[in-house]
Amino acid sequence: MNTLRRFGVALIMIWMVVTLTFFMIRLMPGNPIFDAYQTLLQQGVPSQQALVQIHILYDVYPNQSVVVQYLLYMWHLLHGNFGTSVVYTGRPVLPIILAAAPWTLLLVSIGLTISFFIGLLLGVLIALHRNTWFDNLMSQLASIFHGIPNYITGFVFLYFFTVILNWFPFGNIYNPAIHPGFSYGFVASVAYHSVLPIAAYVFGAFGTWTLSTKSAAMAVLGDDFTMADRIRGLTSEQQLEHLVHNSVLPLFTGFVLSLGIMFGGAVFIEETFSIPGLGYLVATSTAQRDYPVMQGVFLVLAGAVIVANFLADTLYSRIDPRIRV
Amino acid sequence: MVISAPADTPRRRAPSSGVVGIFLSRPMRVVGLIILVLYLFMAILGPVVFPPSVALVANPAKIYQGPTWADPLGTDFQGVSVLAEIVLGARGVLMVGVGAAFLIVIIGVGMGLMAGFTGGFVDAVLMRITDVFIAIPQFPLLLLVATILNASSPWLIILMLSLTSWGGLARAVRSLTLSLRERDFVEAARGLRLGTRLITTRVILPNMLSYVAMNFMVSITGAIYAEVGLLFLGITPFTPDNWGVMLHEADGVSGALYTSSSILYVLSPMIAILLLQAGIIFVLGALDEVFNPRLRTGATR
Repeated sequence: MNTLRRFGVALIMIWMVVTLTFFMIRLMPGNPIFDAYQTLLQQGVPSQQALVQIHILYDVYPNQSVVVQYLLYMWHLLHGNFGTSVVYTGRPVLPIILAAAPWTLLLVSIGLTISFFIGLLLGVLIALHRNTWFDNLMSQLASIFHGIPNYITGFVFLYFFTVILNWFPFGNIYNPAIHPGFSYGFVASVAYHSVLPIAAYVFGAFGTWTLSTKSAAMAVLGDDFTMADRIRGLTSEQQLEHLVHNSVLPLFTGFVLSLGIMFGGAVFIEETFSIPGLGYLVATSTAQRDYPVMQGVFLVLAGAVIVANFLADTLYSRIDPRIRV
Repeated sequence: MVISAPADTPRRRAPSSGVVGIFLSRPMRVVGLIILVLYLFMAILGPVVFPPSVALVANPAKIYQGPTWADPLGTDFQGVSVLAEIVLGARGVLMVGVGAAFLIVIIGVGMGLMAGFTGGFVDAVLMRITDVFIAIPQFPLLLLVATILNASSPWLIILMLSLTSWGGLARAVRSLTLSLRERDFVEAARGLRLGTRLITTRVILPNMLSYVAMNFMVSITGAIYAEVGLLFLGITPFTPDNWGVMLHEADGVSGALYTSSSILYVLSPMIAILLLQAGIIFVLGALDEVFNPRLRTGATR
């Protein structure tokens, strides 16, 4: 029942995001569609022809009422029709997004996983050695890394490892000379091109994980069962296992929530390394004012985060029986 | 390996007294404070030391020069002194960062207090709105809004940054309010028939001021990240002197990425941002202790 309610809330939130973006684009001052229509009229294009042109470009009739446009848009959306790109005229938005999504998913998930485990290791170590030089040094380092914008990390990596040292390739996600497919050469090329962006994700995120693991582990160390473990004479390994298990649980929701942050960061990292993923698509379509694509990518990103949150909430009550009410 | 409870740990240093003592107890905090004061001076006095009309003029004769006495950080792809660009950039970045953080705190605290204290229908509606703003990936939303508004005025950028990032604070303030609402002193205030406005602003708010102040500082770093990021991507219209614009040009038009003689020009804006963020984080740790006397013993941090 609870799951059903959460599912309903997730659906309502997706609907709110859709509505919000629709009206944001249509009702803001300097409405691009209306401007384009006015420009065509001023160029001496007859109004009927201008309407047709605008319809081809933006898939809307500017003289329709906003409500009708909105209902049409929702209707199309429900049928998986995200509209057509303005810049690449006639190309539907959905395939463009689907072509970009795998790269982002690949890099973000690997980067997130690596940074999570580094953070977990460092956080537990810090909690076990609190108030030593190790704690001092690592906590400071973690909070500094936590504060470094990921575009700076990415940029520094790009500059040093490709421009100055020439160790890694410049931009793109695979060597365009290699035909994409499940061949050894292609996979190796992708892996080679992924090293720097993944490193940039890891450096941007591991500080946050270290700090949150540290505070979670400190809380667990203060719990009664930790003392009970010691009194029962469990070995250090068993105690450590209990410590790690109980520190990981509260991090789980954060792990899913950080997906949203990572997707946001993808804009910068993919832009810096010219990776043709969703973030790059957001950046380029924004720069080109390709509204249908912008709107589509944005919906996919927001939808993914909302769905991830729903899954996290549902799974969490199964993983940690304590919070089930 | 011995696993022990935090309470067992001996105190490492004598509890320091007063705000000065808290800052002095860790050298990095003093460094952080010095950094922030330095940036403040740059923001206030920058245009006096480097008048933009003189300092930002392109000079094709000095492109990508190394450090000299006149230009200690060398010159950029137009022959402009990098130091002048960095110093002049401080004002815009600080203004937007502090301004946005201020608005975030006002919106977040306002929403959270209202939802938590009023409860019922108002609470449900406000929190659903908050949930949407938390769920939407903040940076893509910011890109969308920035493109639509095409904002060049710093005030519009401040508004935009704060409207997209108040959600987390609002939710936290709401739960703080919920727990404070049931406390005896709030009950007493209600018994005295102080109005809702008086209770929320004079009784409940002061009790969460430390949390709000910390959030203010964190919001500054977030706003600077986003502001410089937007300029770096070239989404918001250019202001002539900003570190984000320097980064954008270093990445793009200047061709700085194809030569290693541009190293000072590429690194300077990054280091300027890094130092500012690090300064804020160091001071944040100190403020945490100032506001939370329980932390002062040095037993936990």
